[in-house]
Amino acid sequence: MGIWTRIKTFGPWSRAQKESDLEHEISNHLDLEAEESGHYGARRAFGNATLVKEDVRAAWGWTRLEQLARDVRYGLRQVRRNPGFSAVAIATLALGIGLNTAMFSAVDAVLIRPLPYADAERLVMIWDDLSKSGDVSKQFSTPAEWYEWRRHNTVFSDIAATQPGEATISGEGEPEQVPARKVTGNLWSVLGVQPMLGRVFTEEEDNKGTPVAMISQGLWQRRFGGSTRVIGRTITLNDSPYEVIGVMPRDFYFMPARDIDIWMPASFPPWMRTNFTWHDAHIVARLKPGVTLEQARESMAELSMQVTAKDFRGPHSVVVTPLRDELAGKTQAALIVLLCASAAVLMIACVNLANLLMSRAAGRRRETAVRAALGASRGRLVTQFLAESLVLSALGAVTGLVLAVPAMRFLETMVPETMAIVRLTLDWRVLLFSAAIAIAATLTFGLAPALGWSQFAMQKGLRDGGRGSAGVRSYWLQHSLIVGETALAVALLTCGGLLLQTFHHLQQLDLGIRSEHLLTFETPLFRYKDFERRVAFVNAELERVRAIPGVINAGAISRIPLTVTDQATFYLLEGQSRDGVSEQVALTRVVSRDYFATVGGRLREGRFFDASDRMSESPVAVINESFANRNFAGRSPLGHRLKFGRLNDKGYWYTIVGVVKEIRDRGVAEDAKPTIYRLHEQADQTNDQPSGIVVRTMVEPASIVPTVRQAIWSIDKNQPIARVRTIKEIVDRQLSTPSQSTALLAAFALFALLLASIGLYGVLSYAVTQRTNEIGVRMALGATSRDILLSFSGRGLMLTLAGLAIGSVLAVIATRLMTTLFYGFQPDHVPAVAAVSLVLLAVAAMACFVPARRASRIDPLTALRHE
Amino acid sequence: MLILRTLQVGPAHGHQIAKHIQRSTDDVLQIEHGSLYPALHRLEQKGWLASKWESGDGGREFKYYRLTAPGKKQLVVEESKWKQLVRAIAKVAARAES
Repeated sequence: MGIWTRIKTFGPWSRAQKESDLEHEISNHLDLEAEESGHYGARRAFGNATLVKEDVRAAWGWTRLEQLARDVRYGLRQVRRNPGFSAVAIATLALGIGLNTAMFSAVDAVLIRPLPYADAERLVMIWDDLSKSGDVSKQFSTPAEWYEWRRHNTVFSDIAATQPGEATISGEGEPEQVPARKVTGNLWSVLGVQPMLGRVFTEEEDNKGTPVAMISQGLWQRRFGGSTRVIGRTITLNDSPYEVIGVMPRDFYFMPARDIDIWMPASFPPWMRTNFTWHDAHIVARLKPGVTLEQARESMAELSMQVTAKDFRGPHSVVVTPLRDELAGKTQAALIVLLCASAAVLMIACVNLANLLMSRAAGRRRETAVRAALGASRGRLVTQFLAESLVLSALGAVTGLVLAVPAMRFLETMVPETMAIVRLTLDWRVLLFSAAIAIAATLTFGLAPALGWSQFAMQKGLRDGGRGSAGVRSYWLQHSLIVGETALAVALLTCGGLLLQTFHHLQQLDLGIRSEHLLTFETPLFRYKDFERRVAFVNAELERVRAIPGVINAGAISRIPLTVTDQATFYLLEGQSRDGVSEQVALTRVVSRDYFATVGGRLREGRFFDASDRMSESPVAVINESFANRNFAGRSPLGHRLKFGRLNDKGYWYTIVGVVKEIRDRGVAEDAKPTIYRLHEQADQTNDQPSGIVVRTMVEPASIVPTVRQAIWSIDKNQPIARVRTIKEIVDRQLSTPSQSTALLAAFALFALLLASIGLYGVLSYAVTQRTNEIGVRMALGATSRDILLSFSGRGLMLTLAGLAIGSVLAVIATRLMTTLFYGFQPDHVPAVAAVSLVLLAVAAMACFVPARRASRIDPLTALRHE
Repeated sequence: MLILRTLQVGPAHGHQIAKHIQRSTDDVLQIEHGSLYPALHRLEQKGWLASKWESGDGGREFKYYRLTAPGKKQLVVEESKWKQLVRAIAKVAARAES
């Protein structure tokens, strides 16, 4: 029989069709025959029509598929017959499958799905390892290094570099500041990307510094109405004319953010090509065919040592990382931990169901025995049982998909900023995954009971019907399942507890500023190249903002606090020789006089900037505690002088007038670094511009944004205002991944605890039911109800303790893997494990006590008669 | 084999096959027509026959059976088997007569 006929003859519908065909066929025959030999003659010649039909049906036989369909229908009937059991089973599975489906869709989007670059797995990023000179072990590289590497490396087919940039589009319409990136002309070929419209710029254009720009699809739609005539048009970027030559496709993005709107030629000036301290470039490279990441690492480390041999800080190595890891960032670890956790929850759910089904199978011993006696083979029984399980998990999976959708909306917010905005959907990959886990689940929770079930039948089903004491062996499997699920639950609870602890710690971190009612935004100052005019403008805009009703104070700073932007420099303390300087790096910030008062910084000693600090040859500086601790341990830094910049003989000596308590300038979850603050009015020797504005308000910060814009535009109507955010938003954004993963993991853990205790309860109460007879005998022989109570609770306790022990070991392993996940994750196991143990024992005690008490209340007389 | 043989001529429905067998064996094989159907369905399951509903005389729909390629092969096999059997029986019968 061909596959097509198989399909045609499948299922109940075709069965009915076949029946009516047969009926029709036979009646046709009889009619024709009746025309010749009359009605009765025809009947006689035909023989027994009913028997014929029976024989024909026998000839059809049952196909395997039809058998399966029958089993499935039987399974559905079982589901309907036990609504309580089925509801619990389906709900458990739905949660398990739904969670896993949602988690998988996020993992798929962030870690599995191909990146929008050609052969993206061959792309790597290169960073400087400056740990030797006291800086970070993964620092941005320098254009000079890019230049050297590109000429001398042997492992990459090409290397491209990108630099941060801001672009203000002016001219037509409101001035708008957009995220931009300066990139080398070979970036496009290294990434293997094509523009959607127009062309990309060439290396020649990059070298010559031709003013051309590529724009994003978003900007193209937003500002240029999606017109193809934008190609060749001249736009004003940062007050200079640029020609738009291409539009990048919608799905294109590249480090460091998804929302870059403009790419322009990097056109490194000559000095940048020789300066090995200008760390601001992202370097991306494509591995040559056949070169492994390991080989590239070795080769590049060597090359870098050579290239930077003459660097006054000493030579340094490099870090080579896969591009995918950089894009996924910290989310990668979080997602993997969560996926594991959700898998553990599903496992627990399956184990529970296996237990429930096993208990139920024991109750259905007779039914099985009858089936076996009537000729069902063991294989048939197992299939039938599995079909029942399959029905359960299919229903669970469908319900799970419904649950998965809201979970996916939640997870979308976890996709890192470095990647494209992802709308998580139930596409075929995700659906396939759910189907696969549903089947895996069926096998996990269905197979053991199915085998056990059919075994009952083969052995003694009819004979024994549940009488007598059940052997120890029959509990072996159930007991190990309980221990297993308890262990998983313990591991999850411990990890969840530790994460909560960490997150709590994160939230309690002292930011060094008062974060409520603090509005921030940026006013790029590229149009005020002249120092005097810049100072005048900044002071004027602060003055206008302060005048707005509801505003308490306003200040300016070169980098908005907490926004992870390093602007490091070397410095020299008075009396130090120049040789030690390579070890000394500090962040620098240029601030307005009212900055510290506005953000609520706290003074440790000395004073903040005040009205007496004017433009002069002897400027002052405020340092932070780390700086003081590093350089002036145990003594006061006040009055000491320092100097920084190019380390030549020019430059002011700054006198330290104050020490401020740490302000987390680099980000909520980043350790503070030595920082020097200077007053913008005295900072004419630096390029740092106080373009970040902070505003302390009495009212809801969002409500004054339009007024603030008007105030600033009243001074300069072309002044762009960008990145309007509150400090609260910045903090929330930075804590969102930890807070979400913590919330999820905690939810998973509680769910696991609930399931494990249900499982424990189920097994014990089943044991009580099973052993009613035995209990009766024992009591008749003199056991007190206290003995019985102890015996049952003791068993429950043993199982719990075993689970607890194994689970704690699992938890230690898991937390070790998790230390990479969060800042400040220092697993302090003792309180977490203690808390988890207490909770688990309490829950387990409840779960044991109820059935144990029932056992101890059994009346021996009834028990002995109990069947 | 008789059914396969009958259908070698061309497609036919159940009644036609029954009549044909009856006629061509000079009414020697008085099988009940009904027993034809289980056989037809068995042969169809094995893939030796294919069937199709078509309108026959008088506009009525009949289920026409047709020999398939594997069916034709099977017929050859069956026939050679049958001939062997006939020869064998004939030999035994001839020996008994002599």
